[in-house]
Order: sequence, then C-alpha cells, then structure tokens
Amino acid sequence: MKSISLYRDNGTWLCRVHPFTKLMYIAAAIIVPLLLGTLWAYAVAIALDIALLISGKSLKRARALIIFSFTIIATIFIIKGLFDADNLTPLFSIGSVVFYREGMMKALRTGCVIINMLLSFSILVLTTKPEDIADELERHGFSPRLSYVISSVFSIIPQMMGTMDTITDAQRSRGMETEGSLIKRMKAFIPLITPVVTSSLINTRERAIALEVRGFGGKGKRSYLKEWEKHRGDKPMTIILALIIVSAAVWRVATWLI
Amino acid sequence: MAYIEIKNLKYRYPKTKDLALNGISLSIEKGSFTGIIGKNGSGKSTLASAIIGLVPQFYKGAYGGSVIVGGQDAATTPVSELSKSVGLVFQNPFNQLSGAKDRVYDEVCFGMQNFSIPPEEMRKRADSTLERLGIYEYRDRNPFDLSGGQMQRVAIASILVLQPDVLILDEPTSQLDPAGSEEVFSVVEDLRKSGITIIMIEQKIDKIASYSDSIILLDKGEVVASGTPSEVLSSTMLESHGVKAPAVTRIAKALSFRKPDSSYPVTVSEAKELMDGRLSFKEVQSTPSPKGNEVFRLENISFGYTPGHDVISDLNLSFDNRPTAIIGQNGAGKTTLAKLMKGLLKPGKGRILFKGKDTAEATVASLAFSIGYVFQNPDDQIFKPKVIDEVMFGPLNIGMNQKTAREKAMAALEMVRLGDKAERNPYDLDLHERKMVALSSVIAMAPDAIILDEPTIAQDDEGKAMIREIIGKLSEQGMLVVSILHDMDLVADSFERVIVMAGGKVLEDGNAREVFAASESLEKAGLELPHITALGKALGAESILLDENEFLESVVRV
Repeated sequence: MKSISLYRDNGTWLCRVHPFTKLMYIAAAIIVPLLLGTLWAYAVAIALDIALLISGKSLKRARALIIFSFTIIATIFIIKGLFDADNLTPLFSIGSVVFYREGMMKALRTGCVIINMLLSFSILVLTTKPEDIADELERHGFSPRLSYVISSVFSIIPQMMGTMDTITDAQRSRGMETEGSLIKRMKAFIPLITPVVTSSLINTRERAIALEVRGFGGKGKRSYLKEWEKHRGDKPMTIILALIIVSAAVWRVATWLI
Repeated sequence: MAYIEIKNLKYRYPKTKDLALNGISLSIEKGSFTGIIGKNGSGKSTLASAIIGLVPQFYKGAYGGSVIVGGQDAATTPVSELSKSVGLVFQNPFNQLSGAKDRVYDEVCFGMQNFSIPPEEMRKRADSTLERLGIYEYRDRNPFDLSGGQMQRVAIASILVLQPDVLILDEPTSQLDPAGSEEVFSVVEDLRKSGITIIMIEQKIDKIASYSDSIILLDKGEVVASGTPSEVLSSTMLESHGVKAPAVTRIAKALSFRKPDSSYPVTVSEAKELMDGRLSFKEVQSTPSPKGNEVFRLENISFGYTPGHDVISDLNLSFDNRPTAIIGQNGAGKTTLAKLMKGLLKPGKGRILFKGKDTAEATVASLAFSIGYVFQNPDDQIFKPKVIDEVMFGPLNIGMNQKTAREKAMAALEMVRLGDKAERNPYDLDLHERKMVALSSVIAMAPDAIILDEPTIAQDDEGKAMIREIIGKLSEQGMLVVSILHDMDLVADSFERVIVMAGGKVLEDGNAREVFAASESLEKAGLELPHITALGKALGAESILLDENEFLESVVRV
C-alpha cells in the first residue's frame, strides 16, 4: 500500500533518536533564534538542521520540501522588497523596478523562519515513524484516542484516495463526464464526493465496532509491545536543548530589563 | 447454567418500527459449535451484537429481556470488558483492521495492549496464533497489502490472542473469494477441534451443516427452529423461512433417503454412507448452445498496472449474446478484463472492438450508452437521497428525457423488487438492497451489454434466486450479460458459457459442463465444483451434473 508517511527507515542513528528528543530539538531550533532575534542565530539553526539531515542521510528527501517553499519565499521577497511600508533605502533595481533594503531584510528574516521550521520539522518527519510518535505520546499520558488519530490518518487517507478512484469509475460508467469544461467538473463534484463521505462514515462506524471489541474503549491500564530502545544521547541531549531554550529566554528578558 | 443464557430478548433499532429481535430465548453451552442461519434481515447479526453487548450499548434503541454471558449482563457490562470473554469477527476484513498499525504483528497485538497484557506474554500469544492461522510469514507485512482471506485471518488472530471464551464469527467469508473462504474455513475447522466455543453466522449452508453441533434458524427476529443440523435442515419449513437446504439434503429428500432417526443427511459423508452403491446414473448428453452474434472482440490484449508487469498478456477473446460467467481467484485478472471491456482501462497493446467499433476512440461516459458495469460495492456510487433519483441518474446522463428515464428506472426497480422503496433513502436500506439499487441503476440505462462484478456477495438464497432470474430476463431481451462470480452453483445453473481465468490467461472456455469436467484447470485456478456436481461425483456419477433437476433426472435408486 502506498503510505503517505514520509518516514523511511534508512538505518542511520537519526532514526533511532527518541521522538521526544527530536520534538525538543524542533522547539529549540524555532524558539531560540526567535528569542535572540538576530539573523546569525537563524543561520546557525539552519546550518545545524542541514548538518543533522546530512548525517542522517535524509537531506536529499528534504530537498523537495525546500524547493517547494522557495516559490513562496521568492514571492515574499518580491512583495516585501517592492511594497513594504518601511521601505526607504533603495538596494538595487531591475529596469525601473526598485527593490528596497528594509523590505528585503524583512523578507530575508521571514524566509529564514520558514526554511528553519521546514528543515527542523523534516528531521522529525523524515526519520520517525508516525506510529512511534503516537505510541510514545500515549505512553507519556496523552489520550489513546489522540494517538490513534495520529497513526491511523496515515493509512486511512490513502484508502480514501483509492475509494475516490473507484467512485470516479463507477460514475463515469453511468455516463457522467468527469473531464472537460469547468461546468462539467463542477457538476461532477456532488456525485463524486457524496459516496466518499458516506462510505467513509459507514467504514468508520464498522471500524469503531472493531476497535471496541478489542478493548480500545477500556479505561484500564495499557501495556506496550515495543519498549523504546534507549539511545544513549537522548536524555542529556533533551536536557541540554531545554537549557538552551531557558537560557535564551533568560537572556531575552534580561536585555529587556536592562 | 449454560455459558450464554438469553431470556426473552427483544430489541428494536432506533427510529425503526419493527423489532429486530423478538422474544429470543436460548442457551449455549461452553465448548459447543452453534450455527445461526436465516435470510438477510432475520436478526442474525443483531443477535451476535447483543451477545457482545454492542446491542444496546453501541446501537442504543429499545431493549428488553436479558443476555447473560459467563455470569455478566451483556446490556450493562461495558463492551471493552465483555470483549475479554467474547470475541467478534465480522464480514468486512478491511474495516476490522485498526488502521493504526502498519505491521501484521503490531495489528495482532493491538487488542492485547488495550488489555494490558505484558509484552513477553503478548509475543508468546502473537507468535503461536499467527503460526496456528498460517500467517506467521506475513507478520512484517502491511496488513492492508494482504488479500481478503489473509486479512480475515489477521482479524481472527487479533481476536484469538485475547483468548476469549466464545468466538462469534459473523459471515466471515461472505466477502472473500473461494480460496480466501477456504483459508478461513480451514481455520474454523481447526478451532472447532480445539474446543473453543464458537457461534457462527453463515449463508453457506453446506459448511455450517458440517461444522455445527446445533443450528438456530432465525426469521423476523424470532427463533423458528433449533436443534441438530439434521433436525433443522431436514425440516420442511426451512424454505418458507428463506433458507435453502444443503444440496445433499435436497437430493436425499427427493430420493427418500432417510437416516435411521428419520431425518435427512446434511453432509456429503453422511449421504455417502446412506446412498453409496444404491444409485445408478445415466449419462447426460451435453447440448452445446449455439453461438450468437459477436458483441465484443478482444484482439491481442495486453495490460499491466505497472510497466513490465502485465496482468493480462496477449489475450484473444470474443463474446456473443450467451450469458457468460468469468471465474477464477482474486488476482486472476477478471476485474481487469472487465474494466478493459468497459473502457475504464485502456489496453497497453491490442484493441477491443464493441460491435465492430474500436472502444479506444470513445470516452467511458460515451460508452455508457451501450456497456453497463455494476460495481461490487454499491456505496461507491450511491449519492442521491432517493432511490428513484439514484436509478434515474444514469438514464438522464445518457440523454433520456425525464419521462422515459422515470419509466425505465421504475421498470428496473420492479425487476429487483424494490418498486415499493423508490421514494426511500438508499442509505436506509440494507447492503443487499443497496446492491440491487446499484444493479437497477445500470439496467435502467438499457445498455446492449452489462458487466456484473460479484453480484451475489451479501445476497442470501432469495437474493441469489432473484439475480438468477434477472440474468435470464436480461438475456432474453437480447442483452449480453457477463458476470464475474464466485458462486459456482449460480455459474452452473445460469450461464451458457463459462470462462476460467488464472494468472491473466484463459484456462478454460466452454459451457458449464465442459468447464466443470476440466478438473486440472479448476485445480490450477483454485476453484471448487458446484455442490450438486461435487455430490454427484462423490456418489459415482460419470457425467457432470449441473443442477438439482439434472441430478434427479439422471439417477435411479437400485
């Protein structure tokens, strides 16, 4: 089955790092530069993201995400560079179009925030099984229902996409045109979407029963098949990252007070 | 006291008028195998839901009487608690997967985690159960990638690891192909020997006859008969409650072979004991039905979903007006072939001619005029809030005016005996009725050819009889009926031509008698004989006997 999860187990150390350590890293990578507020902090965070992805052999797969975000970032540069309210100092011009320094700096900052977020999240997403994140969350006190939702979404969406194809075939078979002009496509919308919704409702009801008869609704204690193998750096790394966040916060508050 | 005690159980689903269960009283002993039979809507699944507490806890509605399972009141003990004692496996293997696990092994352990079973014990139970059900080798596979039969075995394993006292199987094979059904039945057979208490709801009467210690016949929510398989299935009132006796029993009855206790045999082995050597068979002459005008011609067709892996390669086939059944296992290429004919798939190589015209030049929607296709799952197409509108959708699409479309739709609904439900919401109907709505929505378009994909799934004996009738009527009107089927009894008595497929190739092509004589090809394609044919063979008939009449005409008691 096609999975929509981006996780691949490539056997590198990064895949064995505990999901919570990665979550803490994301927190640090996003919060610290925000608190420090300087561009070089973003540069360090992005460099760190990239270094981690390279060592986890996952940079190549993160590339698609980055390339996609470039189109958005380019748009931000154009809009901010040309039209930002604070624009004063011309930086360069292409023909009669003038780009301003203030807008470009703002765009650079926004671009860094986006890229940093994408990269740090991709460290988690590309190297962690969604089910593992869900399991660990559940084990640490989150609701089993939340954990179920996280892990089931990844298999249920591809199923719904499969159903969509069958439904399209079934309606085309009854003479409905699904291709062609906009009006034709709009007319096709209801006959295509209604069965998707109703059949997933039917399936969900049955699945709810199937879960219920396997004790899912029970309120008692649960046990877990997999014990997460302790990676030696997990605990110290999480603590260090937390300390970095706290120190950055302290520094920020201190600079405000002074 | 028996393990399960049901006393005067009455239940009505919310927003309905009739009682789904009406005064049911019965007791089921530990270690027994109980079969529950009855036509669609007789209350079988509702009864199963009541034993595990889903009725009334999950479905709500009006409830009276009592269900005591191992000393617990099923109406008030939470389902998650009761499921430690009672396991339930139902029809659709797909919807029983949790959807949260991407490995068979983890899927099987899902329930045990909820019951807080220690990891070592979990592994022990999972390993032994997977082994026992013959799915150990799939433990690392994604459960969604398995075949129906394998998936259903995973579903059974997921329940068995919880070590319930009672296992309820609610038509576990109704949505599986013959090989998948066999896989599941052999598991059931094995469980039966192990002594676990089993309650099995099943339409395949021949199977239930051979497994059960006792059988309960339900109709309109009431127990109308209960007793040993022989007692219940010999009863003359069976058919008036919509259930056909096993082929063996029907034949024995017609030939007046009774067991010493004056009931009739219900399994082939019982029948052999009684009848072996006491029958003489005449040879049956095969009368080849004449070929009609060519409707479809497939020339050197090849097709694959991924490049380099052809599901169908170099296939040459033509179809005339004779009703034609296509049989074979899942993955044999039957549905692919049907979709190619309908134009939903385009052949990689070769061409398909419909009445002499190449279908490659037409869009699927424009082919809808002449070629109808009824999908397996009616819920993939139903979208209108009224049955009549749903059935008129196709006719209106192909340009019929309102009046004609309504007339055609009503006629089609009458044909499937849903004329009185034209104004109802299709989703208020049962699955077997929704299947009929889907079927009528294609019949109403009055195509020249109609392709049916597994029309008998979810149908009971009455439904099957209706499908048999419809195939006959459509053929008479000159329509080519091509059907993918798993029900060999229907193949034997309703189709003039039978095509056996395996691995994307045609293994046999002829009338039913020729095809069911080709035992080697049947074995290769993983197919069984129709029940009557198998009985004839077991009793020494040389010819292939296709239906009850033919059997009785060719046999004399000696």
